[in-house]
Amino acid sequence: MTATTEPLETAASRGALPRFRSLLSRFGIFLILPILVVIGGAASTSFLSTGNISNLLLQIAPLGIVVIGQTFVMIVRGLDLSVASMMATAAVIATGFAGSNADIASIVAAVAGTSICVGLINGFLVAKRGVSPFLATLATMILLQGFRFAYTQGAPSGNVPPFFRTLGSGKTYGIPNNCVILLVVVAFFWIVLHRSAFGRRVFIVGGNPVTGHLLGIRTDVVTIACYLISSCLAGAAGLILSGYVGLVDNWVGQGYELDSIVACVIGGVSLKGGRGSIAGALAGAATIMVAANEVLLFGLPIQVQIIIKGVVIVFAAALYAG
Amino acid sequence: MTGAVAAFPAWRNHGGLLGVVVLIAAVFILGATLTDRFLSLGNIVNVYEQSTDLALVSLGQTLAILTGGIDLSVGSLISLTSCLTSGLINGDPNRVIPVVLAVLALGAVIGLLNAGLVIVLRVHPLIVTLGMSAILQGATLFYAMGPIGKVPRNFTFLAYGRIAGLPVGATIAVLLFILIALFLRYLPLGRQIYAVGDDDDAARLAGLRRTQVLLLVYGASGFCCAATGLYLVARFGAGQPYTGVNYTLTSITPVILGGTALSGGRGGVIGTLFGAYLISLVNNLLNFMDVSKHYQLIAQALIIILAVSVYMDRRRTA
Repeated sequence: MTATTEPLETAASRGALPRFRSLLSRFGIFLILPILVVIGGAASTSFLSTGNISNLLLQIAPLGIVVIGQTFVMIVRGLDLSVASMMATAAVIATGFAGSNADIASIVAAVAGTSICVGLINGFLVAKRGVSPFLATLATMILLQGFRFAYTQGAPSGNVPPFFRTLGSGKTYGIPNNCVILLVVVAFFWIVLHRSAFGRRVFIVGGNPVTGHLLGIRTDVVTIACYLISSCLAGAAGLILSGYVGLVDNWVGQGYELDSIVACVIGGVSLKGGRGSIAGALAGAATIMVAANEVLLFGLPIQVQIIIKGVVIVFAAALYAG
Repeated sequence: MTGAVAAFPAWRNHGGLLGVVVLIAAVFILGATLTDRFLSLGNIVNVYEQSTDLALVSLGQTLAILTGGIDLSVGSLISLTSCLTSGLINGDPNRVIPVVLAVLALGAVIGLLNAGLVIVLRVHPLIVTLGMSAILQGATLFYAMGPIGKVPRNFTFLAYGRIAGLPVGATIAVLLFILIALFLRYLPLGRQIYAVGDDDDAARLAGLRRTQVLLLVYGASGFCCAATGLYLVARFGAGQPYTGVNYTLTSITPVILGGTALSGGRGGVIGTLFGAYLISLVNNLLNFMDVSKHYQLIAQALIIILAVSVYMDRRRTA
């Protein structure tokens, strides 16, 4: 955690057991995840098998990438509901060409172009027009959905180029390729958020925009940049996910908008902005995926998975609300 | 802005009303120039009828948003109540009244539960209702994996019946809107909804009944969802586990179009009613113009962007 977040933490942790609470809200997620893993290992022999772990990692990567972008947006007091729609749009674009490796450059360019437009629209509406982030990103979510449906006429067809298949579902020496990508993305954005001047500005703008403004920070530029990061990462995650699922329909990535927000919240990223970390959010994403994996592994009905997610989000948030 | 409970200038709550009425007029003029049938009585009644479900959900949503909160559990609650309605009635006319009453009560109770969690856990309503949404969807899927049950023929009266030429469901919705509008305008608790949304801390310090306000607002939202669930069963003849999914987000659009600020404290339900009519009108017009459903989504998104950019929430620009 950076020094800029300290005053907020002390203010937020007034309670019966302030120190314990503050520790819990900072590191709680790093406790929950190992507990889940231990439960999984104890209850099912196949949970810790290399096959299952490698599959888990494969599933975590796309969500992990989206969550990093969501973290930036949430730290500047925002929310990005358009990520899932952006992912699906990227996946539809990936199948929009002939499906050979020759199209990779055009696909990446088209996805990057769309992502940048979406990020700019979101950021502009929020930072320049004072629109609530919830609404601005809801609008772009529906807008993208409309364009997607209009383009595919409801039924996407075509193939994902083999290159994306390799990226999304291939493994090198048993390590999923998409996890390598995740690691690179994480390393880069960890430095950006926690070790760069820009990252400091992100925390200041999220912690107190007025202070940021008085310090001479272009709060609008910082905010727009965060929405740009989020939509671009969502586009990338969409390409990787399309490679993972292979089949593309209009709903690839459905649910990722809420899952990514849940991951951030249980990972200690404050909904009020100004607080959060990449590591926490990633651990949140891993927790969601591990929990989902265990529900299936234990042979519990799929409905339980949904209900657990609901209960976890409310109580994890309560833990941080203090 | 504090202490504004008594001295609210009336226009401040209805500024958005003007915008939505102008937009509706514009759509009318556009429609009239494009096709003769658009202004026919039959079509107007049609638009009125088709707005029922959206109007009902958005009514509760407006109240939640007025307090500065939001209710994201509406979609799942509609799915759950519609499945329970048709599943429990299952074609038996004698069960209609008890089941309808039970379902309406269940909706209100789940709303109260939302409010209770918001109050006790001190978590933002966005998160509480999001979690509740997942729990309710899971519960719905436990009860029904596909379309379930059926309702007696006379149950469809709620959706297709006419009294004096007016569709029953839509007219009930309008009456509910008027009732709530009067409540918001004239009763102390109604005024306190604005106070809590305007400045939560100030409302608390002023000794206002924040707990009652939240319980009332989310309870009412749950009740409205149950009513929507009943209406959808009447329209489709059976409940489906995903029937409500889209309402979670679409219920917010009429609220915003009607000029209610997402940050709370400003707006009103009548604007929402007109917002629902506007959406119903636009979809109807696009149907006349043979525009596919896909472009209707784009139109809806553009309307939202237009509306939110025009209204621009002054308090957020600080």
